[in-house]
Amino acid sequence: MKSFLKMALLSTALLVPSVAQAQEVVTWWDFLGGGDGVRMKALIEKFNAENAGKIEIQATTLEWGTPFYTKVQTSAAIGEGPDVMTYHLSRLPLGVSSGALSEITPDEIAAAGLSGSDYAESNWKAAQVDGKQYAIPFDIHSIILYYNKDMLKAAGLLGDDGLPKGLDGVDNFKAALQKLKDGGAEYGVSIHSAAGDSQWRIFYSLLGQQDGQFLDADGNFLSGDNLDKAVKATTVVADWVKDGLAPAATEYPASIALFTGGKAAMHINGVWEVPTMTDLKAKGELFDWGAIALPTFFDHPATWADSHAFAIPNRVGNEVSAEKRAAVMQVIAWMNKNSLAWADAGHIPAYAPVRNSEEFKTKQPNATYSILADTAVFDPSSVLAGVASPVYDAAGNYLMPAVNGEIDPQSAMEQMRDDLQGQVE
Amino acid sequence: MSAADTANDVPLPARKKRFNRNEVLAALIFVLPFVVVYAVLFIYPTLQMIWLSFHKAPLIGPGEFIGLDNYFKLFKDRLFGVAFWNTVYFVVLTVVPATLTALLIAIGVNRLKGWMQSLILACFFIPYILPVSVVFRVWGWMFDSQFGILQPLIALVAGDNVPVFRTLPLFMPTVAFITVWWTIGFNILLFIAGLRNISPEIYEAAALDGTSKWRQFTRITWPLIWPVTVLVLTIQLIAQFKIFDQVYLFGNGGRSDATMGLVQLIYRSAFQKNNGGYGATVAVVLFLIIVVFSVLQFQMLRARGEK
Repeated sequence: MKSFLKMALLSTALLVPSVAQAQEVVTWWDFLGGGDGVRMKALIEKFNAENAGKIEIQATTLEWGTPFYTKVQTSAAIGEGPDVMTYHLSRLPLGVSSGALSEITPDEIAAAGLSGSDYAESNWKAAQVDGKQYAIPFDIHSIILYYNKDMLKAAGLLGDDGLPKGLDGVDNFKAALQKLKDGGAEYGVSIHSAAGDSQWRIFYSLLGQQDGQFLDADGNFLSGDNLDKAVKATTVVADWVKDGLAPAATEYPASIALFTGGKAAMHINGVWEVPTMTDLKAKGELFDWGAIALPTFFDHPATWADSHAFAIPNRVGNEVSAEKRAAVMQVIAWMNKNSLAWADAGHIPAYAPVRNSEEFKTKQPNATYSILADTAVFDPSSVLAGVASPVYDAAGNYLMPAVNGEIDPQSAMEQMRDDLQGQVE
Repeated sequence: MSAADTANDVPLPARKKRFNRNEVLAALIFVLPFVVVYAVLFIYPTLQMIWLSFHKAPLIGPGEFIGLDNYFKLFKDRLFGVAFWNTVYFVVLTVVPATLTALLIAIGVNRLKGWMQSLILACFFIPYILPVSVVFRVWGWMFDSQFGILQPLIALVAGDNVPVFRTLPLFMPTVAFITVWWTIGFNILLFIAGLRNISPEIYEAAALDGTSKWRQFTRITWPLIWPVTVLVLTIQLIAQFKIFDQVYLFGNGGRSDATMGLVQLIYRSAFQKNNGGYGATVAVVLFLIIVVFSVLQFQMLRARGEK
């Protein structure tokens, strides 16, 4: 009995280091459940094939938004969770303040062959809190205007270059929507109007186009004339809904189906739905479509943007080991260097060598809207802002009903301001 | 007197003792697993939660002791008021309707015979085995404001499609209706068990005396089924006070401040905003509300039943 036990112990002892030497298993969590998730799985498979015997990624996809971040935060606090995870840069201040993220040191970044100069400065800085790096950016993503070429052509809204024309300016855009509706479309543009998150992205773009500040440097929400700008931004979309040019209180899948089913001539949604359109088109189930950056409604181009990044959780009492961290950094570097494939998911690679490559510059439709990387406005840097934050909740509570005509835009923005200001500690 | 002395004594006095040492030991061994599990998984966390409610603390990790400040904050919190009344509203909309409907269906099903009874019972019970995510998807799709299968019917009445989950006055009643549809199967089962326990001889005797069906119900069925009714009402009351999943899922992205219940306020405070101390405070208050309501209800209803 005793010798059997000894044998068992010995064999276990022999087995464990041999496995560890042969292969480092990196546990990976992401929230990429849509068309982009399919592309990410392909990237992970490619990584595992290229690094067979050295590093293996074991990936799990969780529900986007609040469920993901709640799970990350609670699991990190008790020493559980993944070795690496995707993270929204807009959410970084909140993540760092709750202690869920582990700092990535300059040495680690250098050892992985990465450098801050490989990224747009604002993007790289957005991954820092108090000068410390907590994440490595992976992409820049935003919202774009999808359009049905046949319907726009019939309405005389398509230029000779195949791109839409005459959409800039609040009144022009609304007139175009009316034209499309008169031409037989049920809606000029379909929007996901039943939730705060999608409305926030449109709202924040329109606010940025007026140089409006949602949160000023003194920590005040919608201060001074920013409130008027916010009301203006809200009114633009509320007017579309009021006149039946955009659908009211429509859920996310339905808003896409309205466009892909030919009931709406245009669709405002994230770049992450590009794969959905590409795949449908490849199957012969979609009309000729295109996508451009959001038109300029006010003073200058600007579009809400966020960034998917990689972060290492701060697993309390069970920190990611040094060897594992080295493997994780290799994974992150590999993903960035191979992020051209990620552009298939509609995103714009954060890694400049890829973004500036000839292959990316000829990739459609990304190349058409890649201008938005230069005009991007990122969410305010605050623990109250970002994905699944109080700002997103407030967008659901005030902005969404204002768009659907339940609350008047003026009073909605005042309530939103007061609510968020009240949550500042 | 020590244990050894007792053993050396004549056996008679030992036998007269109320508790036999062996029996006590056996009893202890049998209840110990439960007591340990109960203490570790219920008593200890509950005490921790109450302790946490006196702190300004994150969800996990130490915090600063602030006495009753969280409780003062709670009674000034507009959201607590909204969440409390929403919860009460939901309880009113579900508890009694779910119980009465279940009783009616159970009486109906009980009159059926053989395979027909099994089939009908299964139909009513099947929704109960669905996870909440499936219930959410099924009803979310049926009520979808653009493509929902129920919208043509709604348009007949309302004149146009209605986004029911984004129309505040319709939100709670709709979610309450879905909840009753979803959970009623279990109540029906309890009532059927109760109805089958009533001896047919009582009904035969009543029939011989020429009692009307209505009198049979009010004088025989209702009093005899009353204990089951009390049980169902109490289970329902506790379950519905803890409402979270359905309201959270259907309200997600929308006007969550206007539709949230108390558990959602706990979730939001503790998990979303990482304010564990305040979340615990709401939890303690909800705990007290449920204890008071369920004890009150159970006592009141039982008293009436024993009359």
